[in-house]
Amino acid sequence: MTTYLYLSLIPEALIASMLPPDDFGLYYAIGSAKRSHGQAIFFSVDRSKLGDADLPLEDADARCVAHADGSPKRSLYLSIYRALERVPREALTALHLATDDGRVLTVEPQEFIEDGEDRTHLYQELCPVTPRIVSALNPAEFAEFLTGAQSNVHVPRIVFAELTLGNLKNDPDHQDVDNLPYPNIGHLRDCLRELAAAPDKATKTVLRQMTQEVLFRTIRNGVFVGDPTGITSFPLPSQDALEREHRAWWRSAQSTFGQ
Amino acid sequence: MPAWFWLVPVASIVALGAAYGFFRQMMKESEGTETMARIAAHVRAGAIAYLKQQYKVVGIVLVSLTLVFCVLAYVFHMQNPWVPFAFLTGGLFSGLAGFIGMRTATYASARTANAARQSLNHGLRVAFRSGAVMGLTVVGLGLLDIAIWFLVLTRYYGTDDAQQVVVITTTMLTFGMGAAVQSLFARVGGGIFTKAADVGADLVGKIEAGIPEDDPRNPATIADNVGDNVGDVAGMGADLYESYVGVILASAALGAAAYLTSGAEIQLKAVIAPMVIGALGSLLSVIGVFLVSTKEGATPKQLLASLGRGVNGSAVMIAVTSLLVLAMMGMPNLWGLWLALIVGLLTGITIGRAAEYFTSQGYKPTMRIAGAAKTGPATVIIGGIGEGMMSVAIPVLAVVSGTGLAYFFGSGYSFGTDTMSLGLYGIGMAAVGMLSTLGITLATDAYGPIADNAGGNAEMSGLPPEVRERTDALDSLGNTTAATGKGFAIGSAALTGIALLASYIEEVKIGISHVLDRGVDYVFPDGSSIASTAVEQLEGLSLMEMMTRYEVVLINPKVIIGMFSGAMLAFLFSGITMKAVGRAAGLMVDEVRRQFRDIPGIMSGDAEPDYARCVSISTKAAQHEMMFPSILAISAPVVIGLIFGVPGVLGLLAGAGAAGFSLSMFMANTGGAWDNAKKYIEEGHHGGKGSKAHEAAVIGDTVGDPFKDTSGPGLNILVKLMSMEAIVVAGFTVAVSLV
Repeated sequence: MTTYLYLSLIPEALIASMLPPDDFGLYYAIGSAKRSHGQAIFFSVDRSKLGDADLPLEDADARCVAHADGSPKRSLYLSIYRALERVPREALTALHLATDDGRVLTVEPQEFIEDGEDRTHLYQELCPVTPRIVSALNPAEFAEFLTGAQSNVHVPRIVFAELTLGNLKNDPDHQDVDNLPYPNIGHLRDCLRELAAAPDKATKTVLRQMTQEVLFRTIRNGVFVGDPTGITSFPLPSQDALEREHRAWWRSAQSTFGQ
Repeated sequence: MPAWFWLVPVASIVALGAAYGFFRQMMKESEGTETMARIAAHVRAGAIAYLKQQYKVVGIVLVSLTLVFCVLAYVFHMQNPWVPFAFLTGGLFSGLAGFIGMRTATYASARTANAARQSLNHGLRVAFRSGAVMGLTVVGLGLLDIAIWFLVLTRYYGTDDAQQVVVITTTMLTFGMGAAVQSLFARVGGGIFTKAADVGADLVGKIEAGIPEDDPRNPATIADNVGDNVGDVAGMGADLYESYVGVILASAALGAAAYLTSGAEIQLKAVIAPMVIGALGSLLSVIGVFLVSTKEGATPKQLLASLGRGVNGSAVMIAVTSLLVLAMMGMPNLWGLWLALIVGLLTGITIGRAAEYFTSQGYKPTMRIAGAAKTGPATVIIGGIGEGMMSVAIPVLAVVSGTGLAYFFGSGYSFGTDTMSLGLYGIGMAAVGMLSTLGITLATDAYGPIADNAGGNAEMSGLPPEVRERTDALDSLGNTTAATGKGFAIGSAALTGIALLASYIEEVKIGISHVLDRGVDYVFPDGSSIASTAVEQLEGLSLMEMMTRYEVVLINPKVIIGMFSGAMLAFLFSGITMKAVGRAAGLMVDEVRRQFRDIPGIMSGDAEPDYARCVSISTKAAQHEMMFPSILAISAPVVIGLIFGVPGVLGLLAGAGAAGFSLSMFMANTGGAWDNAKKYIEEGHHGGKGSKAHEAAVIGDTVGDPFKDTSGPGLNILVKLMSMEAIVVAGFTVAVSLV
């Protein structure tokens, strides 16, 4: 049996498993006996690209083996702290988004292409910290801003998603914000106004930490992994493609209460 | 027999023939893919399993009550000897109407989904014509039952003696009780079943497991779909069958009493006029069905308009043709009776529109509830209850205005008590007007669950998005028509209740005549009496004189006790049925959790859940839980009658009618508004799916489930059943009341 390596973001951990991504996502979301549920976001890790990463990979070989009854080993935690920073960006070969009920959408990495039109962004940081930020920076600039050593406040590597701002993107006072499921829209408007009023200000924190699961339907453009060397983009399919080609996942993603 | 009477059996045969034709047409459609057919088969098997169990229980109840009535009729001579048989046929026909409707609906859902793969219009036509099978079966069987009994009884009693015609009509009225018992079990049992499955499926499937609606991995999802059929199709069919025949027979009885001294010919015309109007309406309903079609890509408004074309077309046609028919029949007070009929039609439309206004997400009340969701579940509940309470005003005002106007027109433009019988006949004709086009209004109602199940089937079968968009459009339309249909059902129950109050007095007179027949003088509560040799004295008593002799005045404690008991019963019944849903849903929750735990591979889709077990649990729970409310409804008029006599029973019926109608409307509208407030948010308002407002609205919707589908509709039947039963046991009440 193949041993897979997964980098989970919620919680941050490097996991070895004998389950392929869809099965692992199902298992990770709902557990082995359906006593719990919760969304999961994880990357497939290409072991050959890990280089000399400081990771206990020999442990995976030794302990990630089938059970006595022949059933596969579902998860073996190899690292649970500062795992992301030890996995090179190039080793992340696919992003998997598992819904509460275990439906998995797999997204392939792409080179980041700057969309110059957007001047206001809403970012949800996913790992290793989880604040929600409004920013005038595009994803590449934002990743650089967060991981650059020139700032006192920085992390070695960051995973974040860009969330939709709807009509607030161009007008923080726009009244039609009906389909934005964020708590405390008034505060979000204040943050956007503050950002707009101070051209020198690059970011403004909306929430100090993530209090809900990520509503996948709010992800716009995709999920990004950035570090001082660059950024990798994992763009989600268009809504039409989700509706047509990934219907089961899309329905589940919309049913999630975000708790 | 007047020639016009023969329109009744002819219309019955035409309606049943058309229903059969539509059924055959639907059956020729393909069920689609293997998966679609498999899912439909699961739902069909579950529905049949439920009905089998329900009919077993109802069968026992019907036979037991028939035996009781036999004893009362043949041993104690307190009742007309035809009552046990009339009672039994009412129950059988009502059950048959529900069974045929549900059978059709369960065959139609996959076919509708498959038709929607071709076009929206094709989907609409299959769903609507399948709904029409139910509507036309109900009116066809109702008219058949009426025609057969009328022919049998007129052959036995003759129609020359005016008093005998009164006996015929009041005897026929008793088959309404059989239908009422059947509909109580169908509506309440079906309501408990469907909401237990729905709430169970939602609580574990959606909230705990996070899986979406209509997902085949949810073990309760088939039970949920079965529930739509047993509650909204079989239950609604049996309920409206009872209303339909009840209204026609009550009006016939009122006509017999109102024209008692006008000569046999006029009296007989007054008796058959409601039947003829019903027959005419059923023929026009068949025509109306053919008016319903739409074009591809129709908007919800256009879809609603296409259904409206059928319903409104039939209503306009009945308004015009009923005047011609009443004129050709040579009815006295032609314009007055016709205006009463029109008042009934308008009252029905007003109640339906009011229900739509207060429950549709296109209007302010539901939008306000959705807005309240932004501040959490508590404000959703408060807002919903507030709007629901306010929603009672228009229907009640419509019913009281309609009652007043129909009385005014029926009595020959007077509110005087000297023409009370004529005025009450006018109220009866108004109720007949409201339900005259039941064939098509019920078609729009039964269409709802068919479209809903078609959507579920399309979802579970993984049909392409454009097909699901079409079934969603059909389903969304079904939600609106269902709210309107419930408004009609409740409104007609209110008018029927009022008509039955007057019929009750006629039945009391017949009960007294049975006492006199035994050679015993009858003493009224006011001390006056009728000697056993002076039966003609009894026949000459007007309604007001009967009220005086029975001391039916507001300050009589017997009346007040009855009224308060009736009002209390409406709340008690609602409470019991709501708690029943809670308990049954608890069993479902346990079962769904067990299956997730014990059957590996459900969540990955590798193993199929045990759907049948969930259906079985809901079935057993529904049968068990409906026993107490049914016993309560059946025993109340007997107990109150036994203790407080006729004044107590009249108080009971008045109290239950007033409170039950208002409470029923409140519960149906509140539940509907909560449901649609959630849908409004899901459409992308106040944060849309996944927002805190959505979460709060989901709680409101769950609370509203037993409101709108169990207790609310159940209350109609409580009121009607108690009225019918009071009529059936009037002889017993007259003979043995204690106080």
